[in-house]
Amino acid sequence: MRLLVLVVLSVALMVVDARFTLFKPVRSQMSLVLMQSYWITDLPQRLWQGVASQFGSRTELVAENEKLKTENLLLQGRMQKLAALTEQNVRLRELLNSSALVNEKVEVAELIGMDPNPFTHRIIINKGERDGVVLGQPVLDARGLMGQVVELMPYTSRVLLLTDTTHSIPVQVNRNGLRAIASGTGNPERLELRHVADTADIKEGDLLVSSGLGQRFPAGYPVATVKEVIHDSGQPFAIVRAVPTAALNRSRYLLLVFTDGRTAEERANDAAQAQEALDQHGGGPIIPATVPKPAIVPAAVAAPVTPVAPATAPAATTPPKPAATHPAAAKPVASKPPATQPAAAKPPATPPAAVKPAAKPPVSAPAITGGRE
Amino acid sequence: MVGATASRNGWMVWLTFAIGLLLSVSPLPQFMEILRPLWLALLLAFWALAMPQKVGMVTAWCLGLAEDVLYGTLLGQNALILTLITYLVLALQQRLRMFPMWQQSLVILVIFGLAQLVQLWLSALTGNRQPTLALVLPALVSALLWPWISYGLRGLRRRYKIN
Repeated sequence: MRLLVLVVLSVALMVVDARFTLFKPVRSQMSLVLMQSYWITDLPQRLWQGVASQFGSRTELVAENEKLKTENLLLQGRMQKLAALTEQNVRLRELLNSSALVNEKVEVAELIGMDPNPFTHRIIINKGERDGVVLGQPVLDARGLMGQVVELMPYTSRVLLLTDTTHSIPVQVNRNGLRAIASGTGNPERLELRHVADTADIKEGDLLVSSGLGQRFPAGYPVATVKEVIHDSGQPFAIVRAVPTAALNRSRYLLLVFTDGRTAEERANDAAQAQEALDQHGGGPIIPATVPKPAIVPAAVAAPVTPVAPATAPAATTPPKPAATHPAAAKPVASKPPATQPAAAKPPATPPAAVKPAAKPPVSAPAITGGRE
Repeated sequence: MVGATASRNGWMVWLTFAIGLLLSVSPLPQFMEILRPLWLALLLAFWALAMPQKVGMVTAWCLGLAEDVLYGTLLGQNALILTLITYLVLALQQRLRMFPMWQQSLVILVIFGLAQLVQLWLSALTGNRQPTLALVLPALVSALLWPWISYGLRGLRRRYKIN
């Protein structure tokens, strides 16, 4: 009897949990206590690292210091070049009237646990809802994309890795822009490109970067390098295997990316519409509408030709953002025919201080093939 | 006297469950992940056999919920599994107590194997189909661990007179 009640209760719980968000608060409260156990089980390793760093020999530390210094020098050298390139890129994009690249803000998170289920590739990180993490947020490590946040808890969150069998990510070949979809295989060292034509120009060693088309991952982050391309005449498509650039099963420190509220597609749409409007008016000056954006756009990015705001706020197209409208570079809102609206000059950007972007993840997620769990 | 001992050291049981929860999420090397024993199920089986008046299906269900939160599965999935395991153990309780250890292990193997199959089925329903029957391996490892768990916890129980 009791069994029957409990079984019915469990099944009801599962159905409700799968369909509705009713139990989210309950789950989040329970996780407050229970997620400590990941932290506790991680403790020995943490302690060991602490001890190791305490008793690390001086020569070792000096050597490591040297190494880090050299690395730092190299990176800073590259950074100098990067600043100039970014500047140039912004100028060129202005000339083309295309949307500016938005620099994303990143925040460091630490891995605190692996999912105990060996058949899924998920990790637990030590940043959660209270730290401003949102569902679907991309996660990087130093070398490339790692995955996305799939479950939020108050102080922790669960990240689905690229190599999980239920995960796919839209990518493109860095060399020639060929688009493809990289699906996880369940092997932490392998992604597979699905439905790549046999004649497609893709070869061993190609770098795959995220294309941003799935509306979830920002464009341009390295995802994987192609390891082998197999042309089997018995198969309709080429078999392309790639190795993720991120150290999916070794990285301990990860980067959470806070992006622009608009998706890449929206951005592309906006740019396209701006172009259209421009063509219609015979190459007249376009008047970009400002889009309320998260306050984290660095100053280097934006330098619009004529920053003017539309009279009415573009409420419908973007999720509401707190504060910090920014003179965005040539980014008209999709719903407005830009060139027709003379409008008040927009207020200068409020200081982009500690405002976290309240970016909503896109509701539909074509990048994920499987169910939620 | 019985009333006095009834509540005695009951917290030890919960302590073992807490340790079980920790063990069920503790990091393991990659190749051993697939062999991770069902710690909570083992503990539940033991305590349900030892003191069925205290540890029963409701306890199992609550622990299952905790495990669901930890694993990020649907609320109720592991709860259902653990409840089923406890039910089977309780149903076979009279016989299990008479069995020698190896025979108990066999029964545990069968019960846990069934539970893992239900688990497979539920995961398939929620879109996380595990590719192989390697899923039954934890049941095997658990069955092999059963004698040690059983003797260890029995010793603990005698020592602290958990009742």
